[in-house]
Amino acid sequence: MRAVVYNGPKDVSVKNVPDARVERATDVLVKITSTNICGSDLHMYEGRTSMLPGRIFGHENLGVVIEVGPAVDRVKVGDRVCLPFNIGCGFCANCEKGLSGFCLTVNPGSAGGAYGFAGMGPYSGGQAELLRVPYGDYNCLLLPRDSEEKENDYVMLSDIFPTGFHATELAGVLPGESVVIYGAGPVGLMAACSSVLKGASQVFVVDTHRDRLKLAEKLGAIPIDDTEGGGVERVMELTGGKGADRGCECVGYQCCGMHREEVPNLTMNNLVQTVKATGSIGVVGVFLPEDPNSPDKLAQRGQMAFDFGQFWFKGQRMATGQANVKAYNRQLSKLIEHNKVKPSWIVSHELPLEQAPEAYDNFDKRKAGWTKVILKPGL
Amino acid sequence: MKTYVPYDDAVDLLDADHQAVKKLFIDFNARCADGAPPEVKRAIAEKICQAILVHSQIEEEIFYPAVREGTGDKSLIEEAIDEHAQAKETIATIQAMDATDGGYDATVQRLGELIDAHVLEEREQIFLEARQAPMDLKALAVLLFERKQTLLASAPKSKAKQQVVA
Repeated sequence: MRAVVYNGPKDVSVKNVPDARVERATDVLVKITSTNICGSDLHMYEGRTSMLPGRIFGHENLGVVIEVGPAVDRVKVGDRVCLPFNIGCGFCANCEKGLSGFCLTVNPGSAGGAYGFAGMGPYSGGQAELLRVPYGDYNCLLLPRDSEEKENDYVMLSDIFPTGFHATELAGVLPGESVVIYGAGPVGLMAACSSVLKGASQVFVVDTHRDRLKLAEKLGAIPIDDTEGGGVERVMELTGGKGADRGCECVGYQCCGMHREEVPNLTMNNLVQTVKATGSIGVVGVFLPEDPNSPDKLAQRGQMAFDFGQFWFKGQRMATGQANVKAYNRQLSKLIEHNKVKPSWIVSHELPLEQAPEAYDNFDKRKAGWTKVILKPGL
Repeated sequence: MKTYVPYDDAVDLLDADHQAVKKLFIDFNARCADGAPPEVKRAIAEKICQAILVHSQIEEEIFYPAVREGTGDKSLIEEAIDEHAQAKETIATIQAMDATDGGYDATVQRLGELIDAHVLEEREQIFLEARQAPMDLKALAVLLFERKQTLLASAPKSKAKQQVVA
């Protein structure tokens, strides 16, 4: 099969690799029809993780089931399914509680598994013609009848829509509250969309990319351009000097200052400053236990200079971690089915698999207009 | 009274070692970046070496033979034992060096890279296969735990610690 293979820093190519197949009785084999490039793919693409050359990228996958293992009961050949980026077993202590992002079974020792992801188990990614899905009955979200025409909407259930929603859940956003979101990338925009859905009274989105801020504005959010600084002051002004009720971090460890230099503690400390006293903060941007290639000495060892005194003094709370997609994808799919949301508005490019290398290059350079790429192995 | 073994199974016990030693390597690298004095670095390095020696010994004596039998996968275990041999060689080099020697930090960091690669393979292959094989990993955890306690009790006292006390 054809697949997007990681060769080394800033180098991917589409290669012939052995077909994915049913390896265990509980597996499902999916023919991929849509597979997104994610911002977290870029951490690996840039060589900032332990990703090994030869691995296949892709954790935002949707397709058609073409084979099921003998121990698969529910999922049938021909079903159209969306796969959560996290792989869970369904029966460990964490999966039982809905914490499928921290499955204790599929990636022994370290918590959590995912497709084509550094440090998250041996599973190949779905930027390929075929994908092996472990514990198929548990991991497949069966899609409704309109899934073909709304494929670009449903594929967002694999990661960014639930992840953006998770940010608002971690932050505890309630109707009528104000929310400040750092990052207008796909996840930040989905967090803005989720905040609007939840009835937030004001949603601020802070970023330095004007094309992305425009999308935030379309959602009904208030765009805050921090290119020349002043974003913090603007949020404080718009909240009457109090700060927002809730805050979401949707950028992660490679967040940048005004001049595109990495300042790993920038968004976290801005959140502490722009969320009100007793407010709460949800962090879904990726931060790592170590980042040996970081230009920042503290970040190399997984640390940052965090304004803990201010955080404590303001009596704030914070919750962190990757989204447990299975905790949300079924209910969020209903919003798509009933036309309440249309997450495909974020898509800027639909490309055949073969064009993955240029798509990675453009997305990595944050070229204007490249917000979200869907690769279509069938094109 | 029987010893209480807090680990659910052998994989949990062995991976707890992996996580503990990873933290020590991150600390070591941080001390190097901060220009810490050699005795501070050596204290961490000696802890690392001891932890790895005990860990690889219980794996080779108890866990690997059991996995070989339970899964029938010989090549995977052979590879792991080779990696242990490389690590032990590097540990011997470190132990023969003085923390003030040029190349001391780099040798410890090289050991860290060897261990990272070994842990990744163990997690992605051996541990998964073992969990999926008809093996009694719960009972194995008890054997590993007891052997580890014995080895730790008889381990030589750290040179660095003695120096710090002196």
